[in-house]
Amino acid sequence: MRWLWLALGAVALLYPWLVAGTGSAAFLQDMGALVLLAAIGASAWNIVGGYAGQISVGHAMFFGAGAYLPLLVFQQWQLPPLLGVPLGIAVSLVLALVVGAPTFRLQGHYFSMATIAVAELIRIVVSYSDLLGAAIGLQGPAMSVHWWDLTFRSAVPYYYIFLGVLVLLLLVTWHMQVSRLGYYLRAIRAGERAARSLGVPVRRYKLYALMLSATFTSLAGSLYALKTGFIDPDSGLGILVSVQLIITAALGGAGTLLGPLLGAVILVPLQTATNTWFGGSGSGLTYIIYGAIIVLIARFEPGGLLELWHRLAPRFNRRPEDSRAA
Amino acid sequence: MLLSAEKVAKAFGSFKAVAGADLHVDKGEIVGLIGPNGAGKSTFFNCIAGDLRPSEGRIVFDGVDVTNASAAHHARLGIGRTFQVPATFEDMTVLENVMVGAFLRHPQRSAARANAQRIVEMTGLAAQSQQRARSLGTPGRKRLEIARVLATEPRLMLLDEALAGLTPVEIQRAMDLVREIHRLGITLVIVEHVMEVILTLARRVLVFNQGHIIASGTPQDVVNDPKVIEAYLGRGHGRAAAKPA
Repeated sequence: MRWLWLALGAVALLYPWLVAGTGSAAFLQDMGALVLLAAIGASAWNIVGGYAGQISVGHAMFFGAGAYLPLLVFQQWQLPPLLGVPLGIAVSLVLALVVGAPTFRLQGHYFSMATIAVAELIRIVVSYSDLLGAAIGLQGPAMSVHWWDLTFRSAVPYYYIFLGVLVLLLLVTWHMQVSRLGYYLRAIRAGERAARSLGVPVRRYKLYALMLSATFTSLAGSLYALKTGFIDPDSGLGILVSVQLIITAALGGAGTLLGPLLGAVILVPLQTATNTWFGGSGSGLTYIIYGAIIVLIARFEPGGLLELWHRLAPRFNRRPEDSRAA
Repeated sequence: MLLSAEKVAKAFGSFKAVAGADLHVDKGEIVGLIGPNGAGKSTFFNCIAGDLRPSEGRIVFDGVDVTNASAAHHARLGIGRTFQVPATFEDMTVLENVMVGAFLRHPQRSAARANAQRIVEMTGLAAQSQQRARSLGTPGRKRLEIARVLATEPRLMLLDEALAGLTPVEIQRAMDLVREIHRLGITLVIVEHVMEVILTLARRVLVFNQGHIIASGTPQDVVNDPKVIEAYLGRGHGRAAAKPA
């Protein structure tokens, strides 16, 4: 197991150089950064949607808060976009509290539907707000004046910033997984009534999970906006932003540390490929693929690919000690 | 007195599931609750466990009024309960299930794990400790539920038909476990359909019928009480069975 981790770490660290020699270095480096960004978003959603089993379909509101505020402080007040990152997190935390406190009384589909409603409401309000650029959106710095503008021509600096944030997020998630919080969240997912009977303050822990999740989802939104330099209601707050987070996490394995990472490694290149092959109309095809993935996961393997692997792996390489454990 | 429930009533709309029931439990007792299906014993039980809020009445546990306290608060105060239909955390291992209970008193993972391990061994689940809960059969699940509650270190344990659906051999093993729990100094309130269990374990039995407690006393007194026989078998049988006694 250890060598696998080392190999993964080495590949992640050296990736921009590994692809530098190829003909499409810039393209592959950009895709690498996008994979990491998708992994951050999906891992962030995974805390509340995977571990705690509260399927939020409104995470675009946190992503959007994180995406809008850096560009807002830049465009409206000419402040460095970086200042907007903590502001985005602050707004997301307030949103998490305001949304979570009443909706966590709801269970299952009702919670999901409530989160959709709130996120859509926010998207509509934002698309009429002149301060937030209405339907046109906001723009970031055209070119870098200071390093803290975080505006780079190459994707490589973004790649390493994203990698740093992803490593931090995975460390936080791992720490959560092996602490009381992680056990309580999994218990809540498995059965709220039983969890309560064992002394788990269910609503409080759901709120903790949502706030932690919102913080990192907001960070993902900020990173997206800093890299793209542009945000509008659809790309920042659209329901497809939420859906993408869910699919990425669910494909790899919701409620696992590395599932969202695996989902991102598979989905982002797939999405890039369909967009390249089918041009501008490719986005439609992307959603057909998303739909197919949802159906396949829901029907055959709700635990995602990692669960499938855990189920099938022993059959492929059966060693004496494995068969004894099984 | 460890637990005292006074004039507890619970209505669902106009239907009174429990209509003024009293229960007093001393430390170290094993009290049985019996009654025909739909008698209100489960509703009463859920009121004591904090899963339902009584419409009327007062429940005091060890001097603390818990009438309107949440289920989680009940656990914190030392009232543990099992479920009629086992509610184990299916995708977690047996040990992890028990750890969730142990975290209540031991916030550190290593301490929770050590305590859970001890309880897993005591409840005879050690061989399955690394298996997912979903791989257990009914007896295993019922055992796991008891183990999980034990891990919260309760002073009062409420067992809701913890032995229903077991084979006679399994019932004997489960009864041994209940006795062992009692020896640990844990007070028990048992809701049970299996008469044999109530008669051998409980020293005091309360009989529910139509939301009221219609009889209480030693198991022997209770099974000979005409009102009890009538509740179970109908009016004619009550008189007929009472005559020879």
